[in-house]
Amino acid sequence: MTNDRIRLTRRSFVKGAGALAVASMAPGLVHAQGAPLQLGVLTPLTGAGGFDGPRMLKAMQAVIDEVNAAGGLLGRKVELVVEDDQTNPESAVRAARKLIDVTKVPAIMGTWASAVTTAVAPVCWESRTFLTTVSGADSITKLPHQGYLIRTQPNNYLQAAKHAEFIAALGVKRCFMMSIQAPFSQPTQERATEVLKQKGSEMVGTLIYDKDKTTYRSEVDQALKTNPDLIYLNGYAPDVTILLRDLYRAGYTGTRFSQSYAVTGKVLESLPPEVTEGVITVQPSADVSSPAYELARKRLGIAEPDSYETQATDWASLVSLSIAKAKAATGVAIHDNVRKICQGGGTKVYSAVDGLKLLAQGKEINYEGASGPCDFTDIGDIVDCKFRYNKVSGGKFALVKVA
Amino acid sequence: MSPLLAEVTQLVVNGAMSGAILAVPAIGLTAIYAVLRFPNFALASHATIGAFAGYIANAKLGLPILPSVIVAFLAAGAVGVVSDEVVLKQFRPAGFITTAIASIALTIALENIVRFGFGNELRGYALPIERDWRFGPIRVGPQQLQNLAIAAFTMAALFCFLTFSRTGKAMRAVADNPMLASIKGINADMIGRLVNFVGMGLAGLGGMLIGLDTTIDPLTGFRSILSVFAAAVVGGLGSIPGAVIGALTVGIGEELCLLFLSPDYRSAVGFVAILLVLTLRPRGILGQRAY
Repeated sequence: MTNDRIRLTRRSFVKGAGALAVASMAPGLVHAQGAPLQLGVLTPLTGAGGFDGPRMLKAMQAVIDEVNAAGGLLGRKVELVVEDDQTNPESAVRAARKLIDVTKVPAIMGTWASAVTTAVAPVCWESRTFLTTVSGADSITKLPHQGYLIRTQPNNYLQAAKHAEFIAALGVKRCFMMSIQAPFSQPTQERATEVLKQKGSEMVGTLIYDKDKTTYRSEVDQALKTNPDLIYLNGYAPDVTILLRDLYRAGYTGTRFSQSYAVTGKVLESLPPEVTEGVITVQPSADVSSPAYELARKRLGIAEPDSYETQATDWASLVSLSIAKAKAATGVAIHDNVRKICQGGGTKVYSAVDGLKLLAQGKEINYEGASGPCDFTDIGDIVDCKFRYNKVSGGKFALVKVA
Repeated sequence: MSPLLAEVTQLVVNGAMSGAILAVPAIGLTAIYAVLRFPNFALASHATIGAFAGYIANAKLGLPILPSVIVAFLAAGAVGVVSDEVVLKQFRPAGFITTAIASIALTIALENIVRFGFGNELRGYALPIERDWRFGPIRVGPQQLQNLAIAAFTMAALFCFLTFSRTGKAMRAVADNPMLASIKGINADMIGRLVNFVGMGLAGLGGMLIGLDTTIDPLTGFRSILSVFAAAVVGGLGSIPGAVIGALTVGIGEELCLLFLSPDYRSAVGFVAILLVLTLRPRGILGQRAY
């Protein structure tokens, strides 16, 4: 009985040892055949971001497919490991932990909502995982992320400056800004005032109004008292609709300027065309004149990829190029190399594949993206980007320019 | 006219117009309170329902504004009777607080039913927007004058109904003293249904008046309920003339504060008014007698 037991134990020991030896050799074996290099995607496939998330994923996958067709990265195939953040910070943190602790990805790409990015960012920088995002809140790049975060979306500060430049270029001398009570209102007003002044125009007044009012007649009176050539309506659709009506009633004939999310196609439908005639709207835009945009169009087979699709294109390219430049697929390597491949004096490249070729020849590169030039400040904000300006004519939007 | 006087006059005119529109749903709230003795917050969703019923009549069926306003009144009134019969009546024996909380739950449910049917987008009535008329330095909108006329006519009709009709008198009797009214043979249940119909109908009409001036979406009623509540409380919850005075006080007060304050504090004024009035006159400006 006792013997049997010993014998059994010995046998199982031998078996076990054999299995262990095979198992320990296995990763090496697979590696030699090119274990896929896994990159994390954490994007909203459901929830409020459910419209943009899947399209961003498609754009990233398209770039990675191209990279794989050209031989992959560091001799390995690249694979995207996709998690759904559900546009929900809690689910997002759980998913990020899985990507970081289990899959051990060097980078996570694709967070969309500011609340989600704010929750996921600490998990990333603590584990030295690189994060790329479209979230717009100014506070995000001010987090102590030690360089483990970049965003391709313009923040309010950049937007305010660009809008003010455009307004001044219209020849507007007297601008008035009416903003809804929101965290972005005051910083936007201050920055726009500053830039208008530099450009030889003037902010003749600003006011912040209360949301949820049924009329803004008195606010409109306050604005009109300053006799402005242009009124910048910085609010959301319900209140901007009321403001447009009240401005029309008051007989205002100057220019009205607003964000495209406040004057949407639906808003145009809900108002008579004479009320919205001549309103100028602005939104961040892909760099439609860039060769990178042309390449993204072909790659995705879409006539006009939007800002989100092009930003996703650029993340996948930036991360791939950083890994190739560093010759290592770690978060630290991406962190240390991302600015070496997207800004500076290297040869301009417009796709990941072209960049990889030059890097393989030991050349310096400067990636110019489909969403914009992809140059980043120390805290990870983009330095410049394009905006799309539309003008309402006969109840429809007509493109003024992308600049 | 001196610039300051002109500005004050303009603010008072603006305030009187928005106050008059606020008064219509405030009367509904206060009338329901007078008879049923709880603040019915479901008024918010009924204002939205009225606004959408009027929208269907006006923008989809092509009716002019006046018949559409009547549709808004009837639809919101009918929904008011059904929702009270099916939901809120069950809660009334449990007391004032429970019923008020149930009415908040009800309003969120109804609002989401509207959202389910119509989506979240903004909609406008088929109505041309006219430039304001100018009287010297003062400007007045034709649409707003029309709204003011509709609001004034509705209030006058309600006063006549309460003063001269038998049913109106019965309503006032129940509001004054339910016990005595029931001894006199007045059917309190029937009066309850009637006051719900009229009260919610007024809410619906008010919702449409707000929508005529702006645009509508499922949150139309919810956005204004706090101001409506403030108006009713300032005037004296339960007093119908009080609701009118309260609405005008809140409306004009919110505008006049712009002389001293930045517009983003406008909403606060209504609530400071509540605190002030309730501190000085705990039963509101006109007290709680229904009429």
